[in-house]
Amino acid sequence: MGVELLRVEGVTKSFGHIEALADVSLSINEGEIVGLVGSNGAGKTTLLRLLAGVYTPTDGKVVLSDGSKVEDARHRLGVVPESTGLYSRLTAWENIRYHSRLYGTPDEESWNRTLFFADRLDIKESLGRHTKGFSRGMRQKTALLRALAHAPDILLLDEPTAGLDVTSARTVRSLVQQLGETGGTVVYSTHQLAEAEAVCSRIIIIHNGEVRADGTPSGLLEQTSTANLEEAYVSLTTDKARTRVVTDKPLSKLAKWWQKLSTPKTPGGDESE
Amino acid sequence: MKVSSSIRRITTISKKELVEFARDWRTIFALLIIPLLMFPLLFIIFPLLLASEAAELDAIEVNVVIQSNDFPSDLAEQLNGSGIELNYEPLVMESNLSSPLEDGDRLRNGSIDAVLRMKENGSVWDYALLYMSTSERSQEARTRALTVLFDWEENETERRLVDAGLDPDETLRPLKWDGEISNSDVATSGEQAGMVLSLFIPLVLSVWTFSSAIQPSIDMTAGERERGTLEALLGLPCSRNELLFGKWLAVATITGIGVLLQLVGLLFAIGYLATTDFLTVPTLSVGSIVFIGIAVLLFAIMVVAFELALAMRAHSVKEAGSILGPALLLILFPALFTQVINLDGIETFWFSIPVVNVLLALRELLMDRFVVEHIVTWIVSSGVYAMAAALYAARQFKREDIVTSLS
Repeated sequence: MGVELLRVEGVTKSFGHIEALADVSLSINEGEIVGLVGSNGAGKTTLLRLLAGVYTPTDGKVVLSDGSKVEDARHRLGVVPESTGLYSRLTAWENIRYHSRLYGTPDEESWNRTLFFADRLDIKESLGRHTKGFSRGMRQKTALLRALAHAPDILLLDEPTAGLDVTSARTVRSLVQQLGETGGTVVYSTHQLAEAEAVCSRIIIIHNGEVRADGTPSGLLEQTSTANLEEAYVSLTTDKARTRVVTDKPLSKLAKWWQKLSTPKTPGGDESE
Repeated sequence: MKVSSSIRRITTISKKELVEFARDWRTIFALLIIPLLMFPLLFIIFPLLLASEAAELDAIEVNVVIQSNDFPSDLAEQLNGSGIELNYEPLVMESNLSSPLEDGDRLRNGSIDAVLRMKENGSVWDYALLYMSTSERSQEARTRALTVLFDWEENETERRLVDAGLDPDETLRPLKWDGEISNSDVATSGEQAGMVLSLFIPLVLSVWTFSSAIQPSIDMTAGERERGTLEALLGLPCSRNELLFGKWLAVATITGIGVLLQLVGLLFAIGYLATTDFLTVPTLSVGSIVFIGIAVLLFAIMVVAFELALAMRAHSVKEAGSILGPALLLILFPALFTQVINLDGIETFWFSIPVVNVLLALRELLMDRFVVEHIVTWIVSSGVYAMAAALYAARQFKREDIVTSLS
């Protein structure tokens, strides 16, 4: 096991009266590719946002190995959110350079790193193109380059292969594996067990805001006495999965009243929320 | 070192926003080209268009029916020489000449433009002029006929006075102005121009500052949220305040350039009007210009921060638009109200009311009036409001739910 880079200590995250994460504790070590596995609404994205310092814990703390709060050490992280977050009127390189400059990385340095990884992702020729019209795969690759250009200690990826075609998903997975082989640290959220098994050296199963299991793929099988990860996952998540967590500010009484008034009842008679 | 890093990040954010803005030609056209052309179009092209329409109307001959049994021949002569084609008909009514009767239909269907009914009643002429106010030709016929009628009446009055052995000038005009009327106003033409401009420049400046900031404010906040670009930005090592200031700087730059171009267009239009003696260039001291700049700057700080805050509260561009569109009324109503406030002896408290204070300040400054008490009041109050708006915006930018988008 490598040196500990990031530690989550008893973190709870609530939105209003809904607990998105409950008393989560874990650590991320150098050189690990950690897979966060869970169904939609399990709390993977919330945990990633806490790791990225975008959310502040309601209780507990997320700290780096030197004790600094994660929001004060964002320069050590590289983040690829699920939406990729590219500006369509900027070129791929301008998107990358914008983030690199905000990380304080000199343009030349980020350009060299971008070229290095762009070559591996087969996107070098598109760096000068506006991202408007980019395919989902191209967008994901550009977002990856953007997250890597400032040489982060930890890379946080939120469902990086979601919606990608087979070839693009394979390229992204291959890059993540290469990063792991060269000592990089990656936290990789996915709801596909097979993908987690193929890419990650450690898997954390999250269900209804709780960490249900944390270990190597073989360790999980041993822990659950099952033959494969799918069975292991099912045995750990027997309770019904919640469908979603509303992270928005609750609606005002007036807004709720209007929403109810303007929404017709469904044929079954249930009113929409 | 930390401050310089912070400034670097703010300018990086701002530059990126400006680059994105500059790459959309439709936005450039709407926010930069239109303000530049608005006043020249309004003050130069529009009057030219009006003049050409008026000339066209002058050239037409209108059709007036005279209904009279004893119409004065000298009056008929004068009407004939005024671009009016006369058609005579006997007058069939004895009283109530204003009642249209069947002539109303002829006026409505445009077969005639006006009807002049006239009847001698002892030493007085009774008359009525029928027309249709919604027809330009009919209006023109009425105007021409009335002008001739009033001239004829004046001549007739003078003739009767002379016949009675009186001097018409002494009898009709016992009170006379001596000398040139224009010399009696101690306000210079520059000051007069300042007063005229003070009635609409503050209105235009305030409304334009607010309205031109709407689109970029929405695009840089709710737009980012909707497109999902905000989450990636929030994970970067820049504080929410730096993010706000960067975006504020970009919106303020776009708005500032728009307002500046609008003023350039306005000055060009005024320069043109000055050559036609319609309006002279206003007299403004350097102090006034400096304080006008400060007033606009403080107003822009407040307005842009307020708009960014409101837009950041919205989940989508559509929602932000439906909030910021009506919010324009918060500027428009005070702006219209301020136009009617009398500046002579105005109480100082007016200069502490949000929006009204800056608009009144602009009015005073455009008239080159310096009242220290007023200046101190509007600078301090505007500073406080700008600060409050910035704090409100900062609060909105620190909300955790801004990371989520509608999906």
